[in-house]
Amino acid sequence: MEDLVARSVCRLIVPFIQLYGAYLVFYGHLSPGGGFAGGAVVAASIVLYALSFGRETAEKRIAPGISHLLESGGGLWYLLVGLVGIMLGGSFLTNKAAGFYLGIPGHLFSSGMIFLLALGLGLKVASTMVTLFYNLSTEVNDEHGNGT
Amino acid sequence: MEINPLVIVAILLIVAYTFFYTPVGQLRNLLIVFVLFMIGATLVLAVSEMPLFGSVETPAYNEVARHYLDGTVPETGALNAVAAIITDYRAFDTLGEATVLFTAVAAALASMGAQREKGA
Repeated sequence: MEDLVARSVCRLIVPFIQLYGAYLVFYGHLSPGGGFAGGAVVAASIVLYALSFGRETAEKRIAPGISHLLESGGGLWYLLVGLVGIMLGGSFLTNKAAGFYLGIPGHLFSSGMIFLLALGLGLKVASTMVTLFYNLSTEVNDEHGNGT
Repeated sequence: MEINPLVIVAILLIVAYTFFYTPVGQLRNLLIVFVLFMIGATLVLAVSEMPLFGSVETPAYNEVARHYLDGTVPETGALNAVAAIITDYRAFDTLGEATVLFTAVAAALASMGAQREKGA
């Protein structure tokens, strides 16, 4: 696909979409947003890039292997944060009772476990959507024989 | 209206087994209609047991919601009550959601990835 308009608009808009997605993930405990929404926005920016520049170009930026790694890593990170709660004397996935640093409500680095879990969820949702997009688009290309 | 849902499920299971071992024909179509009717009747029964719209006795109006709204800032340190519920009060539930995502990707990779290796 060689569309000048799509490429120009995509080149302009992708950084802002990714910044907004990162904002949704990092400020999920202070404002509307969170790991799921932010991860979906970040993944949408990568899918937009792959649609307008072709999948090979997108795979040079974010390789499928890295996407797989982040996908499993996000889930393992979530489990790890939950297990830290057990190590610190609480039950699985406890926040305040386990002694996570709660901070001052309203500051960026506050609310202990919520911030850490939102990071893992954001990574996991974004890489899940990107991985699914890579795989599904591969199937379409193979069937019609016109790889983009 | 006092029908045990287990009885309905048992009847549906028996009908489903009969339907499974019946050859294609008129009896099979009749059984399909019967099974669909039974499933619909079960759903209607389930709806009739639900609390009325706007009723005070609805389980959603118990003290838990008030506790979450009051306890979000002192108990979790977050300002967003939704984030506090998703990743603190109900964090184990969210782990299940993350597992659903993982399962979806594993299934897609297992089916699509195998075909891709065979084709190209």
